[in-house]
Amino acid sequence: MLARRAASGDGDAFGILVERYGAPARRVARAILGMDEDADDAVQDGFIAAWHAIARYDPTRPFRPWLTRIVANAALDLGRKRKVRHTVSIPEHTASGTVRPDRATDHTLFRERLRFALEELPERQRIAVTLFDAEGYSHAEVAEVLKVPEGTVRSYVFHARRALRRALGAFKEDAP
Amino acid sequence: MTEQSPFANERDQALGVELRAALDTADTEAFVARLKAAVADAGAETSWDVLAAWAPQGLVAAVVAATLIWLVGLPAVRSAPATPLASAPIQIEVAPSQPEAVVITVAIMEGR
Repeated sequence: MLARRAASGDGDAFGILVERYGAPARRVARAILGMDEDADDAVQDGFIAAWHAIARYDPTRPFRPWLTRIVANAALDLGRKRKVRHTVSIPEHTASGTVRPDRATDHTLFRERLRFALEELPERQRIAVTLFDAEGYSHAEVAEVLKVPEGTVRSYVFHARRALRRALGAFKEDAP
Repeated sequence: MTEQSPFANERDQALGVELRAALDTADTEAFVARLKAAVADAGAETSWDVLAAWAPQGLVAAVVAATLIWLVGLPAVRSAPATPLASAPIQIEVAPSQPEAVVITVAIMEGR
């Protein structure tokens, strides 16, 4: 209903959609561009583009993949323009097992390692695993965002998970 | 994170939680507020905005079209006949002496 109201030019309805989807869209943009201000710029560009194109949105179709596709495209465009290849440097002590941080620090380091492992994945695998496992999209919705067949999405998710598991395995072995 | 078949439909809940945590930061609420303000500032696009976006291209197209018309039309203007000696017969008639040959030739060519 909100999307239908927004599609008819209701700015308040679109404002609610921004509140609802702003944070997930930021996570998707960060999965593409890294933990960078570029990701925030891409989300902003994407939402403004979506608002300007809202009259072309078909309210009979799901809104979330439509919006996510626009945001993801904005992030991909920005990445190509700025040639951003953000790399998160892993603190040296995470690679070795010589330092035993407390549990809170350990969790922070685990997430840093996860971000690093995510950035090492091919772009489409990154998007697929983030949308499917983190954001709760169905395979069909991810397929709509990426404009690929569902089978391809399954393959992306499978390979992404395996790569992440491999990258994080060593960390778990080091953990106290 | 558990090993799953590529044909499985289940989500890896543990990985999902960790991914969200890894990609989120504490400033999410502030970011969403900024985003909402930016979208509101951008406003809806009117048909005039769409036309304005096309204005530079339209201007260039108009200049190109005008240049082409001018270039195509120029030879035609250049080959246009010179102003005829409309007064040639009169010159013949009123000439105190025998008119020059060129005046007679022009009068004949003009079919007068």
